[in-house]
Amino acid sequence: MTQDGTAVRVEQLSKHFSEKVAVDRISFEIDRTEVFGFLGPNGAGKTTTIKMLTTLLPPSSGKVTILGHDLATEGRKIRARIGVVQQQDSFDQGLNVETSMDIYGLIWGVPKPERRRRIEELVDRFGMQEFRKKPTIDLSAGQRRRLQVAREFIHDMDLLFLDEPTVGLDPIVRRGVLDYLKERVKGGLTIFFTTHVLEEAEYLCDRIAVINQGRIVEVDTPENLKRRFGSAKAVEFKLLQGSSPEMTTALTTLEGVSHQVQDESTGAYRLTTSTPESVIPGIYRLAERLNLTVSSIYIAETTLEDAFINLVTDDNQVDTMSGGA
Amino acid sequence: MNIYARLVYRNLRANLDKASLFFELIFPLFFIFVQGFGINGIVPPFELGGRLVTYSEFLAAGAVTLTVINGGTNAGTQLWFDRKNGMFEQILMGPFTRAQYILSIIFATLIIGVVGSLLVFVFAFPVVGASVSFTLQGQLLIAAALFLGTMFFGSFAIALSVALKSSETFQVVSTFAFFIFLFTSSVFFPASSAPTAIQTASLANPLTYTTDIFRAGLFDALTPTVSLELTVLAAEAVVMFIVAVVAFRKIRV
Repeated sequence: MTQDGTAVRVEQLSKHFSEKVAVDRISFEIDRTEVFGFLGPNGAGKTTTIKMLTTLLPPSSGKVTILGHDLATEGRKIRARIGVVQQQDSFDQGLNVETSMDIYGLIWGVPKPERRRRIEELVDRFGMQEFRKKPTIDLSAGQRRRLQVAREFIHDMDLLFLDEPTVGLDPIVRRGVLDYLKERVKGGLTIFFTTHVLEEAEYLCDRIAVINQGRIVEVDTPENLKRRFGSAKAVEFKLLQGSSPEMTTALTTLEGVSHQVQDESTGAYRLTTSTPESVIPGIYRLAERLNLTVSSIYIAETTLEDAFINLVTDDNQVDTMSGGA
Repeated sequence: MNIYARLVYRNLRANLDKASLFFELIFPLFFIFVQGFGINGIVPPFELGGRLVTYSEFLAAGAVTLTVINGGTNAGTQLWFDRKNGMFEQILMGPFTRAQYILSIIFATLIIGVVGSLLVFVFAFPVVGASVSFTLQGQLLIAAALFLGTMFFGSFAIALSVALKSSETFQVVSTFAFFIFLFTSSVFFPASSAPTAIQTASLANPLTYTTDIFRAGLFDALTPTVSLELTVLAAEAVVMFIVAVVAFRKIRV
């Protein structure tokens, strides 16, 4: 790590493929033991960024320092201290699960007794006991993904790049993997994480950068992103009497409600508002005036997905209006 | 364990298709024991470097060098497996350089080529044993032929596998290319007795030199051109290695 506690420092990083700009002057920093999420729609530049940061692709311009080493001149020193789980499959087709982990540890120079110990731990933690002797070529997509993530922990590292690591995993395994990552972060690991599953980004990441069309649109904590860019909240309520045309009409007079919709099957009303705290007393007042009883009422929370969609949509609209970047 | 040793061990364990390897060893034995003895009856012994050899002895020595070409194909296959299965990029994101990776494939190929040749030689020993001369000079020539031949064909297969867009195309094109190498060489017949066009082609063919040098070493049948053949083979192997490295550096990730 650098003395100031920064694990990754990226300044004005760009990547061009002929005329196409895949990554456009992005800048950010990642602190040590931070989980840094990198979210963006398909083709936004996430994987290209990872390939540059892991020394696989040379940047077109910009300066990057990773773990105190200059990306342009000290690639090998960087690679010796990072781990990478690629978006695409990576496996040795001629080996079984256990041997594949063992040989991966061997090429990284991990001593045999340590490899044996780590394999046992990882097989157990990633639930691979059942298929530990199975050839990797015969594994299901989810099993192969589990192996790919687990295998990376066979060697020591300070920084781990995870490019959509939970694709194909069932919810229980996925949660297990995320919890394992959290444990490793407590032990001093820094993580750069891309995913399309926003719930897991929210669960795992300390900060999130949203990238769109090669540019970073925003960097903040998940909470702040939701607060700043999330949709207006929704208030949902039901009446004891079920549906009421009078109430439907009266709700149109309620201040602060931008949209209302009623579920025909349940009779539940959903009001979109940015001020639920003032809308809820208004609903009770209307109900009292119309001799109706509110049987249930709650505020539906905004999600990171709302914030992400709003950020990317707004950015695309700005881009369209300005005639493209 | 040295970084090259670790990568070579991994290449040998992870990327060798055992069934293909088995057939690559069996293939030369058919030439030795079927074609060699079949034709032996109609071809009288002939002179080679001042010694009389039978056709089955001549072919057995050539068949041993066939494993060199088969080993070469393995180099391309290893690279294709790694590219297809995502291990190529995975390894390059580890603490290795591209040079170390490509050299590890060449070293693994050398091991396959040399060990394969020795195994075939053991099987061929009943055929060629009586004529073999175990001199130091001969053994050095054999080692040089196997080393340089495997290096050439390993590098050739790597360059080919980089140039071609699918593993299936690589298998077809490499098989075809190696047949051309095979039939324009001196594996099956002395190049001097072939039609003029094939004689000319054989002069550029590294398999001709690999086989001639191997035979010269095996039978202690030195010809005046052995040192020249060794020099040409070494030059071809080095040039092809450079071509493979340049091609390899251009693989897009």
